Amino acid sequence: MDAALRAVADPTRRAILRLVRDGELAAGDIANHFPSMSRPAVSQHLRVLTDSGLVAVRPDGNRRMYRWRREGLRDAAAFLDEMWSDGLARLKAAAEREDRRKADNK
Amino acid sequence: MTDIDSNVVEQTIRIAAKPETVWKYWTDPERMRDWWGAAELDPRPGGVCRIEREGGATMSGEYLELEPHDRLVFSFGWEPSDDAPAIAPGQSRVEVTLIEDAGDTILTVRHSGIPDAVAGIHAVGWSNHLPLLAAAVAKGA
Repeated sequence: MDAALRAVADPTRRAILRLVRDGELAAGDIANHFPSMSRPAVSQHLRVLTDSGLVAVRPDGNRRMYRWRREGLRDAAAFLDEMWSDGLARLKAAAEREDRRKADNK
Repeated sequence: MTDIDSNVVEQTIRIAAKPETVWKYWTDPERMRDWWGAAELDPRPGGVCRIEREGGATMSGEYLELEPHDRLVFSFGWEPSDDAPAIAPGQSRVEVTLIEDAGDTILTVRHSGIPDAVAGIHAVGWSNHLPLLAAAVAKGA
């Protein structure tokens, strides 16, 4: 989920996401949309997107086909939600322990 | 509501402790370590608020507003690392409010301006993800 947040931080990767949102595309077709960028650079972006779970890839003969994974960003949105709920649960336990200790010492 | 306001994580919990106790868990490094991580805290406007979670990302922020025992605000970002989500220091903001209720504290955390998730959602036009964010907010409310 950290990876998903990192993946969408880059404008090229967001552009790739828009391309594969509505249908599957081969790596070569995606690279053709970025004429100023080297193939290895595009491949690197595709790898970040697949590693993050935002994009799925499958082989089709000797081509690699990419498509958007709808569920990918849900993890990123949930990350902060979880971070806070886990943290606040620990804060609650610690603060309540402290006040109980004070009450016992009275 | 503006677009930025709709990209918020908000959570409210009741804590059976006084606001003055809960306050210390946001301003005292010893107590911060009990629930978040090793902290360097200078609780005054412009003072550092840096928290390193063992085995996790390091939060790098700055205290912005402090109204003792009632409300505090700090900027929130992660130091760049392989584990850290792409929220740069200073990019988002956390507001903590403490309200006393029958000897307990009602604590609300409002984390707003979550920039990269926002950018991603808007740039890609995934309108179906906004309800998910809203649901996350509602769950905490």
